[in-house]
Amino acid sequence: MTMTDPRDLVAGGSAREAAAHARARATGPLVLAPGEAAAAGMARLARGDGPEVAVPVWPDGASPSLLLEYQVAPISAERSGEARRVLAACLKCCWSDLAADPWPGGPAPVETVLSAYRALIGRTDDLMRNWAIGALRRLHDSAWIVLADGEVRLGPRCATWPAESHAQLRELMGRLPDPGDTVTALPLAEPPPGTESAVLAGEPLDDDLLGAFDERRRAELVAAFMAVEHAAEPVQEVRFAALRDPALRRALAEMLARRGRVLIQARERWTTGYDEAAAATAGSTLGEAERAVLVLVLVHSVAIPRAEGLLGEDTWLSPHPAPAEELRRHTQLPIGELDAALRTLRQAGLLTQVKAGEEAGGYVPGPQFHRLTPAARKRLQEELILAAGPNTPLAAAVRAKRRPTGGPPATPDHAGNVRERDER
Amino acid sequence: MRVPETDHEITLDAALSEEAVLATYRRMFAALARDSGAVVDDPAFVDIAETLFAAFAEAGEDWLTHEQMRYACRAHPPDLLDNRLRVLKGLGAIREVFPKPNQLRYRASFTSVVGLMFIRRMMDDGGQSEMHRLLALEDLNVADPRTTMEQAAESAGNLARAFRLWALELITLSAGTIEELREQAPKLWGTEEIARRAQGLHGTILTRWPQLDRTCTELRAAIYAYSDASRRAAGRLADSAGTTRNLTLLPSETWRTFTQTASKERLAAVLDGFVFDAPAPWHDPAEIVHAVDEAPRPAPAAPTPPRSALPDDGPADSLDGGTARALRRLAEVAEEALAGRDSVPVQDLLAHSGEWVSARRLLADLAAADLNPELPYRLRWSATLTAIPGAEPAWLSHGHLERTGRDDD
Repeated sequence: MTMTDPRDLVAGGSAREAAAHARARATGPLVLAPGEAAAAGMARLARGDGPEVAVPVWPDGASPSLLLEYQVAPISAERSGEARRVLAACLKCCWSDLAADPWPGGPAPVETVLSAYRALIGRTDDLMRNWAIGALRRLHDSAWIVLADGEVRLGPRCATWPAESHAQLRELMGRLPDPGDTVTALPLAEPPPGTESAVLAGEPLDDDLLGAFDERRRAELVAAFMAVEHAAEPVQEVRFAALRDPALRRALAEMLARRGRVLIQARERWTTGYDEAAAATAGSTLGEAERAVLVLVLVHSVAIPRAEGLLGEDTWLSPHPAPAEELRRHTQLPIGELDAALRTLRQAGLLTQVKAGEEAGGYVPGPQFHRLTPAARKRLQEELILAAGPNTPLAAAVRAKRRPTGGPPATPDHAGNVRERDER
Repeated sequence: MRVPETDHEITLDAALSEEAVLATYRRMFAALARDSGAVVDDPAFVDIAETLFAAFAEAGEDWLTHEQMRYACRAHPPDLLDNRLRVLKGLGAIREVFPKPNQLRYRASFTSVVGLMFIRRMMDDGGQSEMHRLLALEDLNVADPRTTMEQAAESAGNLARAFRLWALELITLSAGTIEELREQAPKLWGTEEIARRAQGLHGTILTRWPQLDRTCTELRAAIYAYSDASRRAAGRLADSAGTTRNLTLLPSETWRTFTQTASKERLAAVLDGFVFDAPAPWHDPAEIVHAVDEAPRPAPAAPTPPRSALPDDGPADSLDGGTARALRRLAEVAEEALAGRDSVPVQDLLAHSGEWVSARRLLADLAAADLNPELPYRLRWSATLTAIPGAEPAWLSHGHLERTGRDDD
């Protein structure tokens, strides 16, 4: 694997942009402080009655649908059909003025959305209701809607639909049945005086870069950018001119660097990951239980098969599932917490469920592990060794290497209250 | 005990691991061997010895005969066993119960059994646990008031030598190929625990016999050399690591224990500082429209079957009305045939219509009425049979249809 060093490319002034883009990728749309401007390459969404948020926009009005033109699989969502139908029901209830853009629309009670969904699919049983609520939660987690206090609003990501695609949504709204048996919608919320909803396009981030290329190359660059950033798996070099051609690839690397991203090469395929500097400030949405469960899966599906010589390739992806029973029975995690964490991790593409028969099957590291940079992969290995074998010479070697030369002795690390004891 | 692997397919891996086992055996007994070919050349030999010792323990004071030994080792090839018995007897590991000619019963030597246990442990971790035990024992020894200064000096000297040799082997490995280092190092390098124990022992000796300063300096140097070699080997591996290869350096049991005993906080801490993407699937408008159009529809209610336009008296008698109606019809047929009489000749009834199809239907109905115990009609056949060629029906059995006396209900 090789990695382009972003420090060659990013001027110091754009570090703020890179950090903001990395944070948006790691934690979702950014809530802006009053008066704070959105970073370049992001749109500022003002709803009138809440904090403003910033969402990244893609160069040249592209959207991840571009991947379909290139027949590259996008990051897959669990039960996406269901989620999209529920999103359609949300739109039916929240998009009050079809002459305007879908976002921001108005709030609608969850029950109204559920009955719109019921009317849409023609089913009324409890199972349908549970599924719909699960889909609402997933849409909320991915910022397509905002679910709060029994109300649904359209989320910031709805503002990223290209304007030309609104027509087909309008047409869809026209033929969806009205939610029959409850109030149709809340009375239209009048925007408070003096504030108005708006999508304010931010400064473009790549124009100076893209301007240097003719139309065709510019389109190739954008296509490769969307592919490496949004495909589920690393994309083949031969499929994208901007990956094959070193000059274009360099421009691509700079587009990425401005967003705190680096190109990662795995043989003839490319993907992207966080650059070290941007990652340091990006933050994470993963809770303690989720991180703990992810570590358990990594140990069971990578470390143990490795130690037993079953895993040939030097990768964090693995064909050996961590058995669900093992996670359930032989760990210190309460089952409820475990199940919730597994669900969240699956939705984020950090785990993939492997089904095999009735009882067998389990979890393997998900497609996100393609996106670890070589440095992050190595650090993950070291952290695992420090945690599982803090007293081994290997752990001592890792600690010694990390200690700044001539600095103070190692402080107790987080993996246990372990000090180096071999020095009197 | 290991199950003997005599009938296993021999693979390259198996051959390699056997070679590793044999190499350890050779190294362990190099000090005792008379020539370089004197150590077993098949790991199964050791398995045989172990099987034999287990059988001796089982047998107790009954000892074992030659045949019983053979039986205990029936899983192994007989010629291998003979070879083993010859050697074990020759070296005194198995001896006659009483030393006299034609002795048939044998016993095993305690020393050999203990030795074998030791061998197996050495195989597992290259002597690390032995070193632990040794250090623990020496610790007890030097604290014992009966221990003399000479004994302490000797024990410190032995330990120093062991550590030095251990360190040398690690240093040689560290200079060799990374694969060999990866393979061998975890068996050789000491944990911090061993170094700490050794230093504790060194401290005890020095405090008790300050005049052993010189010996202790050597021991200290040996321990430092060993710690240093361990760290150097580990450091070289850590540097060469790749991104997951070093995970092999912890045994899978250590990993399992970690997953089973670590608290949530300790597990989660591994991923501190790692950044992953928030879930952000893309829902394109076209895909939303597609998903709505492709929604699985509940199966429509089954269409009503076509019905006659004529008035219908409904399903009132459809449940068991069928039987009643059939009985009523049979009674009507029988009554019509009797025409008020109590008995009519069947042949007249059948001949009356003059054609077989009607006669046949009538006969069937009358026979049904006859056979139904709830209806008061019976057919009584006689022996007479008439045949009238050309008539229909041409053959007629004679008999009577009668009303029986149970008409009143």
